[in-house]
Amino acid sequence: MWETITGLISGTISGTGMGGGTILILVLSIFLGVEQHTAQATNLVFFVPTSISAIIVSIKSKLIEWKIGTTIAISGIVGAIIGANISATLEVNKLKRFFGIFLALIAIYEIYSLIKEYKKSKKEDNIKEK
Amino acid sequence: MLKKILVGLIAGMISGLFAAGGGMIVVPALIHIFKLEDAKARATSVFAILPMVVASGIFYYKNDFVDWNLGIKCAIGGIVGGIIGAKLLKKISTKTLRILFIIFLGYTSIRMICA
Repeated sequence: MWETITGLISGTISGTGMGGGTILILVLSIFLGVEQHTAQATNLVFFVPTSISAIIVSIKSKLIEWKIGTTIAISGIVGAIIGANISATLEVNKLKRFFGIFLALIAIYEIYSLIKEYKKSKKEDNIKEK
Repeated sequence: MLKKILVGLIAGMISGLFAAGGGMIVVPALIHIFKLEDAKARATSVFAILPMVVASGIFYYKNDFVDWNLGIKCAIGGIVGGIIGAKLLKKISTKTLRILFIIFLGYTSIRMICA
């Protein structure tokens, strides 16, 4: 039951492209006690049907840019094979730490872009007032 | 073209390494480098990530890491969630979600680094 609820929440976030996968892995490994590699592999099983249903909805809303998406997807396959090979040779704990550092970098970037956008919208408001 | 390939390559490596988070590279890249709207960038990233996930999924499957029982249970919720999420994409303000996401990321990254 908890697994399906976790999937529902992560799926909703995945569908909006916010990174539901990271949430699924975290919930599985921290709260449900699943080993890191297994949690990651489970995320991959989870993501395929989840993203297909999200993609179908996005096609209908005409939100997908096919040209750029396809190029990124093709080079991404090459990258994924490289990454998965490296992942299998690393220790789990080291992997966890790498993952944490990676998440921290994303968080810093998100804060930076949020502040940047806030400043920009404030500036635009000032121009409108004048 | 080179930029697109590089973005894909890096995102793919992260997908393969952490089995998640490729979108975290693709979404900001689409917004900031390729100047796509927020909703379009997110929808396109979901589409671009799928083949990367399949590629790394095959690898994890070969290494016997997949727990099918767990995966299917999560996927049942995921299918419904995916539809809800993609529909929200057109409606929700990204700002609120972003703030929540930052708080969540900060907390979990510290937990992971200290684990």
